[in-house]
Amino acid sequence: MAAPSQMATSQLYCWEGDWDLPSVDNECLIVLAYAKFAGAPLKLHKIGNPWRSPTGSLPALKTRKNGSLSQPSDIIIHLRKQKYNADFDLSAKEEADTLAFISLLEEKLMPALVYTRWIDPKNYVEVTRRWHAKHAPFPLNFFLPGSIQRQQLERLRLVRGDEELTAGEELELYCDFFFGDSPSPLDSFVFGYLHLKSLDNLSHFCSNILALYFPSEGREGFSRKVSSQPEGGDADNEPGKRRKQLLSVLVALGAMLSYALLTGIVAIQHVKQEDVGCKDEDRTPVA
Amino acid sequence: MSLAAEAFVSQIAAAEPWPENATLYQPLREDQILLSDCASSLAVQAYLRMCNLPVHVSCRSNAEYMSPSGKVPFVHVGNQVVSELGPIVQFTKAKGHSLSDGLDDVQRAEMKAYMELVNNMLLTAEISRPRYSSPYSWPLNQILAYQKQWEVRRKMNAIGWAGKSLEQVYEDVSQCCQALSQRLGTQPYFFNKQPTELDALVFGHLFTILTTRLTSDELGEKIKSYSNLLAFCRRIEQSYFEDSQAGSSSRGYSKGPSLF
Repeated sequence: MAAPSQMATSQLYCWEGDWDLPSVDNECLIVLAYAKFAGAPLKLHKIGNPWRSPTGSLPALKTRKNGSLSQPSDIIIHLRKQKYNADFDLSAKEEADTLAFISLLEEKLMPALVYTRWIDPKNYVEVTRRWHAKHAPFPLNFFLPGSIQRQQLERLRLVRGDEELTAGEELELYCDFFFGDSPSPLDSFVFGYLHLKSLDNLSHFCSNILALYFPSEGREGFSRKVSSQPEGGDADNEPGKRRKQLLSVLVALGAMLSYALLTGIVAIQHVKQEDVGCKDEDRTPVA
Repeated sequence: MSLAAEAFVSQIAAAEPWPENATLYQPLREDQILLSDCASSLAVQAYLRMCNLPVHVSCRSNAEYMSPSGKVPFVHVGNQVVSELGPIVQFTKAKGHSLSDGLDDVQRAEMKAYMELVNNMLLTAEISRPRYSSPYSWPLNQILAYQKQWEVRRKMNAIGWAGKSLEQVYEDVSQCCQALSQRLGTQPYFFNKQPTELDALVFGHLFTILTTRLTSDELGEKIKSYSNLLAFCRRIEQSYFEDSQAGSSSRGYSKGPSLF
């Protein structure tokens, strides 16, 4: 029986949020939503650099005893084992249906979303690549979006689904929180995949979940766009910005100094060295 | 298939009735066929029998290369070639034979979901059991075997199964069987009293796992622990495959392994 204090030291690393969402990545949203539904106390790290996560990819859960977990399904299984369970109320048949619909989502909807975010040229260049380049530190921002795109392309090519949103239409038949009033793991999966607002029914579902479980995110996202200083949470942005500023100042100073040395001040140094032997000589520089 | 291609194929398909000489091609049963291909082929055969459409099964060593999508099995009907269960179901629907017409929208959604579950769990579990030898001579058989293995490993990597241990694979299969067993309950078939493509798919996979001799029987044991699934497989085998054993050899399903 795991005590809650054990869970408090588990740390969850996720992609940062933007556009009113707690996170921009599907899998991170799945894990975040499930953790909120189950009420699991996790220390949240929202970062823009996957190299800082314990497993090298996001989302990642760093537990005290079991090492680090990477796949969303593994993370959810781990949370369940720690008794943070969102599916007590499901009957056996509903649990079976849950499993089936999760497979449907992963098989049909996931390729469509991966395509929209990473493969579609216009979207990729204007939205995804720009966001990742802005949020990753120098020099990662040059090659990170490209490398993630190559990974996703490979994955898509091997899994390959062609039917775009027909799976979404099937799900449209189930309203609100699918099985009763309290959310379940299926709901977290569906939320993770459906933040693209394409079908009315499903977009109501998403806004419901956002309003009920992530009320602060909406305001945070908005303020982040407006003010230059992000407030609260793990302000990983700030040291990054400071570091960038420092780096650019240092580079500028170095450039100016070396230019000065190469053109003018070299002469001054020569004079000074000759003067070292005779201290009383006049030290005014011959510029 | 893209929507446009589907519409085109449907139009052409609807023009002619199902011919008598339709043929299903699959790799050689003894040497070559992978567990997953065997399951897919059996699923298609079961589906066609449920629709009462005659088909002759032909085993060829180059079936994979003949197939339009590279996947087996495929059927050659009239002057068209269609591969994999999904497109074949669409194709027969265009010809006016369908098993899922009686389902309402909710059930249809559930059927699609369960079919994906089977594909996700059972198919990939079968892929993770290596079994590929080749009817060709050395060195082609080595090269093809390595190629196949490498392809499968890449696919597993892409869907995140590469890191899974054997235990986890068995656990996933067990979960999948439990879900199927729950859904089946005490009914004869998954939806009402009529079989659908979901029944054909589940039968194909479960029967293959149960009857193929593997290095360990763990997968088979997992399935046997669910008695309603076992009864389900027996029922379908009896209803749709038994008559051909006694019948003439023009039906291609030769006496293979059986559950009895």
